[in-house]
Amino acid sequence: MESRLLRVDLTTGKMRSEVIPHSVFERWIGGSGINNWIMWEHFLTHDINCDPRGPDNIFVFGVGPLAGTGAGSGIKGRITFKSPCYNMFGDSAGGGKFPYMLRFTAFEYIAITGKSPKPVYLHICNDEVSLVDASHLWGRDTLETHTMLREELGTYPSHAHTLSISQAGENQVGIASVVSDALRIHARCGGGAVMGSKNLKAIAVQGNGGLKIQMPEEMLAWSDDFRQKIDENEAVYGFKRRGTLGAVEMYQHIGSHFWRNNQGNMFRGGEITSDNWVKKYHKYSEVCSSDCFIACDAKYKIDGTESEASKKYIGETFRRPEYLTTGSAAGALDVRDWSEVAHWGKITNDYGIDNQDLSCAISFLMELKQRDLISDRDVAELFDREQSLRWGNMDDIEFCVESIVFQKNLFGKIFGDGPYLGAIKYSELKGQNFMKYATYGKGGASFTEEMRPFPTWMNNMAVASRGADHLKGIGLIEKFQRKDLSKIYFDGRTEAADLSVPTLKGASTALIENQVALLNSYGVCLFHWMLDPAGYTPQDYYGKAYAAATGIDRTPDELMLDGARICNLEKAFNSRIGMRREHDTVCERWMWEPTDEGMYPGSVAAEMFNPVLDEYYEWRGWDKDSGLQTRKSLEDVGLEDVADVLENEGSLA
Amino acid sequence: MSSVPQKELVTGVERYPLDAEVPNVVEKLFSLRNQCTECNVCEVACSLVHSPDGTVNPQYARLKINHAPAKPSKVSPGGLGFVADICHHCGNPPPCAEVCPTEAFYYDPKTKAAVIEQDNCIQCMECVPGCPFDTVFVAPSGELLKCDLCGGDPVCVKACAARPEMLNEGKQYVRLPVLFYAEQADFNKEHKQVPEMGDEVGMMQAMLEAGKISSPA
Amino acid sequence: MITVHANFHSHFKELASTGEASFQIENPTVEALAQCICDTYGPKMEAMLIDPDTRELNERGTMFVDARGMRVSMSDALNDGDTITFLVGIAGG
Repeated sequence: MESRLLRVDLTTGKMRSEVIPHSVFERWIGGSGINNWIMWEHFLTHDINCDPRGPDNIFVFGVGPLAGTGAGSGIKGRITFKSPCYNMFGDSAGGGKFPYMLRFTAFEYIAITGKSPKPVYLHICNDEVSLVDASHLWGRDTLETHTMLREELGTYPSHAHTLSISQAGENQVGIASVVSDALRIHARCGGGAVMGSKNLKAIAVQGNGGLKIQMPEEMLAWSDDFRQKIDENEAVYGFKRRGTLGAVEMYQHIGSHFWRNNQGNMFRGGEITSDNWVKKYHKYSEVCSSDCFIACDAKYKIDGTESEASKKYIGETFRRPEYLTTGSAAGALDVRDWSEVAHWGKITNDYGIDNQDLSCAISFLMELKQRDLISDRDVAELFDREQSLRWGNMDDIEFCVESIVFQKNLFGKIFGDGPYLGAIKYSELKGQNFMKYATYGKGGASFTEEMRPFPTWMNNMAVASRGADHLKGIGLIEKFQRKDLSKIYFDGRTEAADLSVPTLKGASTALIENQVALLNSYGVCLFHWMLDPAGYTPQDYYGKAYAAATGIDRTPDELMLDGARICNLEKAFNSRIGMRREHDTVCERWMWEPTDEGMYPGSVAAEMFNPVLDEYYEWRGWDKDSGLQTRKSLEDVGLEDVADVLENEGSLA
Repeated sequence: MSSVPQKELVTGVERYPLDAEVPNVVEKLFSLRNQCTECNVCEVACSLVHSPDGTVNPQYARLKINHAPAKPSKVSPGGLGFVADICHHCGNPPPCAEVCPTEAFYYDPKTKAAVIEQDNCIQCMECVPGCPFDTVFVAPSGELLKCDLCGGDPVCVKACAARPEMLNEGKQYVRLPVLFYAEQADFNKEHKQVPEMGDEVGMMQAMLEAGKISSPA
Repeated sequence: MITVHANFHSHFKELASTGEASFQIENPTVEALAQCICDTYGPKMEAMLIDPDTRELNERGTMFVDARGMRVSMSDALNDGDTITFLVGIAGG
């Protein structure tokens, strides 16, 4: 197996192709693992405390070793960088066709440093790479950029697939995202601002090279088996139809939505509480990531007959909103019309901006207004015009989005880095403490689901390497009360699935973080993890596909250790920039304010927060007081070199 | 490999030359316009099973996802959406084979499909415009690519992310298989018989319910 | 003989063509209820509800809770008038 890394120094325009040594794959698997390692090495020679928007930051794109191999699940690409909005480790995954197409070029990983003197885009065509002037694309949103690039680059050797930023990225807005093919968004952590700060408008790839499968017969047999496992389960078909919208009714039932900045946890308004949306709007073609066996995505088109509000958006077409698009609009912002929810998804995508950060920031301000903590004058000061800031008012919401994207006014400047820094800055400006109303964990914006009844999720929000994040250690054992899984993972014990006790919750976080790190390094979509029976033990199952694709055969135990190694490297990165136990925390609302509706009323995080966090550190072998890694914990996962670096800088326990 | 490579498929005493009297292909591949998700799985799988050295390359696939079919349909009046372009396996001898100057085509004894023998092919590309449906493809190497039905067990059908196995019992879904392998379905005839099934999907649904098409999965 | 109520959501609702139904069952267990539901709504419901390998409730992408929000499994006992809710268990997106 030969895998190539393309290094681009935008300052000098120099580019270099490197073969990634086999030993690096044996240690870091691929995908996020290798991305992390490339970034770690970069910051051994560059100042890790650099300005994330400066030329010293690095922007890595990597694709998992299963992408495009016929494995039917390894569809994710990943960007990795130091986050400009949270100022810590940052990465973000995205599906679509960009990662797939990259595999048919000469490269699998791209590392970009420096800063271009003028706007450029990076064009990769098989093994030919060039930096092309992008002045004609500058100032355009991601849809326009993608469309223009596709037209410009033609269909030989293949259609072009792109990764681009919008005006938000150009303006280096902290929560700006990177969008793939104008359809799929690498949303979290502000990768768009990093690209923008480097004057890199887009990356376009075209390829017709082959992708060698080391053991093709095994791969074909594996994918036959995999398809069969998927097809046995009718729930997968339900998922194909609805995507994550299936969660709307479930969360409404158990009370797990994030309503009005998490003041409640049920949606209000009839239509929005059910996923009948699918029947009403889904009358258009479906879309899919490349080489995915599930194909959960679909497109909608609004014709104006759906509701009164839909008349504003006649002809609009985009991807069906997924749960978090719905959760941020119908939940955080209390938008009650499906066409408006869909429109919210469309604008946040075209503007390439994270709708989680964005909705938490806007709903924070709406709550201040609702509580009369700020006056109309304060609002006018922020927006340079009158704004009602009424819940669910789409005109206001759109203006808030534009304010941030185009940095139009004080609101845009203050909240461009998301709700946490925004709330701090606004509290300072007004001389009042508004932090009680901000929703965040570890400095990252909340993702718009109710977390308080679920101690593992809460723990996850507090410790995730990129701040408040459900994708680093997704706590399904507990949320879905999977006693069967708890038994598998913890020697027959069932407490991990019991919401009422803190036992095994920190342990679940640590264990699932390792598994998810493994999946992320394969590039496997986490919905496969949720829906395939074998997905819950990915070290056994996907390990075989990984071996077939790459020829690297690892035992399940080794693979779990690989997962732990990846988590430890992310942790070490954050330790180097000074993050300690006190940073592993969540906002006041979750900590102290009890839930009052749904199936689990009266839940607060504070009840179990510390015991769970202690247990998490214990399972990781980290120091409980400082939250730092110990030399032993690092040596256990084969990271002696990382321990040395931390020790030199005083970041080792 | 689980599917037999093309070369082995057509070797042996039983292979028929093009001028032999061979019945038409009975079971064909069909693809539904606008129901395709553009997941590329069929292209990946096809290129992998036909590759002599286990290389995936969609450009070597014997079917292609048409990324922007312009033809509007009732499902998608705008004409957007995707469809997999696959060989229609015309009656024998097929037009692509008839224009071949070197008689590089002959019939697979099992499926009766016309297959290209690469050793005899001089890559003159006459068969490309010779195909009325634009489904003979040219690989980057110049090799001509035509569907060979994988010897009777088409991998693209198995791989299709909108696979038909979900339909074995069900009649309640509007969603149908994009790719399927079935006995010749006469769309126009069916259409007339079931006038209320106005669109392609409705028609397929009706045929499926009547047991006129089936899924091999 | 007891009467048990079932609430169906999302894909369950589509398969059952109704949001709620009541069932009379002999054995007061979840297993009997599951069997009754499978018999009523056919093989697709069975594919959704039952794991073919273990014959337990299907745990992949589903969630079945009682009125207190606790997940139920095959061997759990049911009382007359209990309500079990059938949900699609998916998170994130």
